[in-house]
Parts: sequence; structure tokens; C-alpha cells
Amino acid sequence: MKKMIFPAAIAVLLLILPVMLTSYGIKLTAEVFIMSIFVLSLGLITGYAGLVSLGHAAFFGIGAYTIALLGKFVPNTFVLLASAIIFAALIALLTGFLFIRSSGAYFLMITLAFSQMLYAVAYKLKGVTGGSDGMSVAASLDFGFGPISGSMGLYYVMAVSVMICYVLLRMFINSPAGKAIIGVKENESRMRALGYSVRSYKLLAYTISGGIAGYAGGLYAFYNYFVSPDTLNWNFSGQVLVMIIIGGVGTLFGPPIGAAVFVILQNYISSYTERWPMIMGVIFVAFVLYGRGGIANLLLLAWRKISRRQKEINSPALNSSEKISKDETKGVTEA
Amino acid sequence: MSLLKVEGLSKSFKGLQVLKNVSLEVEPEERHIIIGPNGAGKTTLFNCITGVLPINEGTVSIQGKMIADLPSHTRVSEGMSRTFQKNNLFGKLTVEENVHLAVTARKSYRFKLFKSLLSYKDMQQESQDLLKEWDLWERRNQTVDELSYGEQRLVEIMLAIATKPTILLLDEPTSGMSPAETIQTTKLIQKLPRTISLLVIEHDMEVVFSIADRITVLHHGEVFLSGKPEEIRNDQRVKDIYFGGGALQRAEA
Repeated sequence: MKKMIFPAAIAVLLLILPVMLTSYGIKLTAEVFIMSIFVLSLGLITGYAGLVSLGHAAFFGIGAYTIALLGKFVPNTFVLLASAIIFAALIALLTGFLFIRSSGAYFLMITLAFSQMLYAVAYKLKGVTGGSDGMSVAASLDFGFGPISGSMGLYYVMAVSVMICYVLLRMFINSPAGKAIIGVKENESRMRALGYSVRSYKLLAYTISGGIAGYAGGLYAFYNYFVSPDTLNWNFSGQVLVMIIIGGVGTLFGPPIGAAVFVILQNYISSYTERWPMIMGVIFVAFVLYGRGGIANLLLLAWRKISRRQKEINSPALNSSEKISKDETKGVTEA
Repeated sequence: MSLLKVEGLSKSFKGLQVLKNVSLEVEPEERHIIIGPNGAGKTTLFNCITGVLPINEGTVSIQGKMIADLPSHTRVSEGMSRTFQKNNLFGKLTVEENVHLAVTARKSYRFKLFKSLLSYKDMQQESQDLLKEWDLWERRNQTVDELSYGEQRLVEIMLAIATKPTILLLDEPTSGMSPAETIQTTKLIQKLPRTISLLVIEHDMEVVFSIADRITVLHHGEVFLSGKPEEIRNDQRVKDIYFGGGALQRAEA
């Protein structure tokens, strides 16, 4: 039960947050939620399966374009979002089947090439996608109780979505398949020797990740009313990778933190200077050099320190005996 | 019918022939040991049998079923399991998590997506039994990286046992162990149920003669001699060529 307090507090915070924000803040936070879902999807393959992709925007873009293209014919939100997920997952399954044979830098390059190919297609197919002008989204977000268009409505849809994605991913990484995926990242040859089909598990992670990215893209199309080829560009994939590294690789709560920091800083800094990528770059480099594990890791270390201090305050007797034994061992090692 | 049968196996790396026409059999319940000097091709033979390396010629079969073309991971479901010469573990995971992965490997629920792994009681029970049997229960919450080398070696064997093999391939199980750990490990291997046949690469002659039902001598990638321990011990050529006479006599003493 104690474990549930923290997530519950976060959920309550997310639900009452809009009261404290301006309408611009609400809109921005909704965007953070969408990015969080996207970053979570990339975090799954990067942090847990060890697959670093520089083309994950492909699945986000597929989701977004699915809503934009299908929305003209099928106005149902459920059908549209489901198609975005299924279509993105399907493409991930098919391409993953080929891509997962490679690893490391090769995997990075081939995913990059694939997403750039989709970008080029979206860019050149003016008749269908509107080319560089992009296309507007005809369908509106409607879960059966009227269209949701105000920033408050969008906020809650995105907030609930990110919580659902988080919980599902949390369940997934604790499941037999999820644990096996962590095993694959840790040691492929041992997993094979134990009888696990390493490729199947990588493909599973990649497909699920693609589906979630598709969902994020779909939400983005509803949020933005407009889809452009930029959603497929490697620039975007790179940004998401930066968010993961700032937030913390290999955790589930790191990616949303990274997304929040990135999106909010980007908005804040860019209101002062056009050179915001430069400042973001410095922050990124600092994290790579000095902050391995990202903000998630820093928070974890801080949390441990606080809880240790708490214990010391609560049980001074235990603390002093601990100190003695520490001194003793110190003496032994010195001797 | 022999449990594991290797016939005419050849393997070369870029023209360098490492294994030449190797044939050997492991009978049910047999403990078969492979010895031979460094570079004889022992580990390569293991890698070929387990499918880590593709073979150039020959066949490998388990209970009459040809497995030479199967991918390496599917051989585990045929009852084959192995350990590695160098520890090959999940170093950042705890000992318990290592065992969980190994035990789950042959479970039907290994692809389940949302139910927690820890909710499977049979997996928990099997893991607990293994950890206690291998004397690692106290260490279960430590990461494998934190264990001593000898303990890691035990985890290595324990993981291979966890997949419930009928034939277990051990690649130098006692290498790098202290004398005390070697004795302990040898005892644990001796205590393994006879339902698990063993194919073992080993250098330590005391270990070899305290486990072996049959010994195969590999030399320059070829089977030099195969026979009962006494035959190998008393074979003058083996003495001369491999041990310079010394090691075998020490083992006898």
C-alpha cells in the first residue's frame, strides 16, 4: 500500500494542477503530456531493450497522419486513435523484423534512414499530405460526450492518457516478457543460452513502443489540429532522445520529467532568444558528462539521502551503533 | 540410443581448421569429460554443439533428433543447457532475478505481457529451491557483480540447471576457483541427479577423475582417444603428449 502513495499523489497533483495554471500553462502542460507518452515509448526500447533509435518520430508521425488522413472519412475518435496505434505498431512490427538484426550504431542509422524516408514521402506527396504545408485535422476529439476542444478538456484527456500509458508500461516491465526484455539488454548471449528467443523479445518491445508512439502522434493531431512532415523528421527524433537522456534512461518516471524540462525550457528560453537550441545543447552535454542517469537518478539519490536522514532521526540509538561499527571497520582497514 | 550424438563435426575459421571430424556420444546418465591442452578446440566444440557457432560439416543430435540446424535458443527446449568458460551472467541484476529469468525460460507464460512475473507461485517456489540448494539463498538480494568469483561460478551452473536440462554442458566449471571452492563445486556436481547427463570440459585432473564415467581427449581439433577413466589414466601416449607424465600421477596420489 505504501508503494501506492507516491503515484496516487502524482495523479491527484495532475488532476488539480490546471487550477494553478494560466490557460497558456494548461495548453503547454498538455503538450508535455503528449511528449511524455512519446518519450515513454522511446524509453521502453532505449532504456529497457537497449535499442537506441534515431527515427522514432516515424511512428509518432504515422499516428498523427493516420488521424489527419482517416479523420476525413471516419469521425469516430475511438476508431481513429485505435487505428493510429494499430497502424504504427504494425509498421513497427514489419520494419523491426528487418531492423532488429542490426544493433548499436547500425540500428541507429537504419531507423534514421527509415524515418527520413517517410519524411520525404510526406513531403513529396503533395496531393495526399499537403507536402510541406502539412494538413489540417478534420476530426475532433470526441469520446461520446461532445467534442473536446478547450485547453482544459485537452489537458484532462492528455493527463489521463499519460497515466494510463505509465501504468500499462509499469505492468509490462514487471511481466515475464518485460523482465525477459531487461535480460536481453543485460546479456543477450546468456538469454539465448537460457532458451529465450532474443529477437522475438526485441521485436515485441519495438512493436509495443511503436504503438505507443503512434498513440502519442494521434493525440498530437487532435491537440494541434494540424499535422506537418516535421512530425516525421529526425530533428524531432533527436529531441526526444535528448529528453530521455535529461530525464533518465532505464526508468519509467525519467522520460516524463525529461519531456517536461525540455518543453518548458524550450518555451521559456525561446521567449528570450532564438538561440535556445544552443542553451539546450549545453544542458544536454552537461547531463551526458556529469549527470549520468539524468534527473531521475539525481532525484533517486536525493530521496535516498532524505530517507536515510529520516531513519537517523527516528532511531538515534541504531545510528550510533552503526557509527561505531563503521569506525571499527575503518580501524581494521587502516591497520 | 545415446542422448547426445556428435558425428563427423568439422569447423574452420577462415581456413584455419579448428575441429576435424569430431565424433562423440553421451549416453543417458553418463558423465562425459573432455580434456585436452589449450587450443585443442574444446570450447569451440561446445559452441558448435549448442549452436552458438554454425558448423561446417557433420551432425549433432539429441535422442535421435537432428539439431544442427536449429537456432541456439531452441536447443534448450530439446533439453540442452550450458555454462560458459567465463562467467556470463546478468551482473546488474540480483541473484534472485537471475534465477527468475532462468526458471521462466521454459515456462509457457514467458511471453505474458501484463501479469507480474512475481505472481507466478511455481516460478517463485522453483527459484527458492534452487537458491537454497546452491547455498545462495542468503545472497539472493545482492547483485551478481557483488558476489565473489567463486559464487558467480555457482550462479553460472545454477542458471544452467534451472532450465531443467537432460544434457548439461559445463565449460570448465571450476576455473578460477579457490581450492576450497573447487572441492565444494565438485561435490555439487557429483550430487546432481543422474537424470542430467553431463558433458564437461575440465583442466583440473582431480576434478576430472572424481566425476568422469568416460573421458575424451581432444588434441589439435581431433578426438585423440576416448575411454574409461582408467584407460586414459594408464595410456602412455596421453601421459607423454598431454601431461608430461606429471599431472596424472599427482591425481593418482
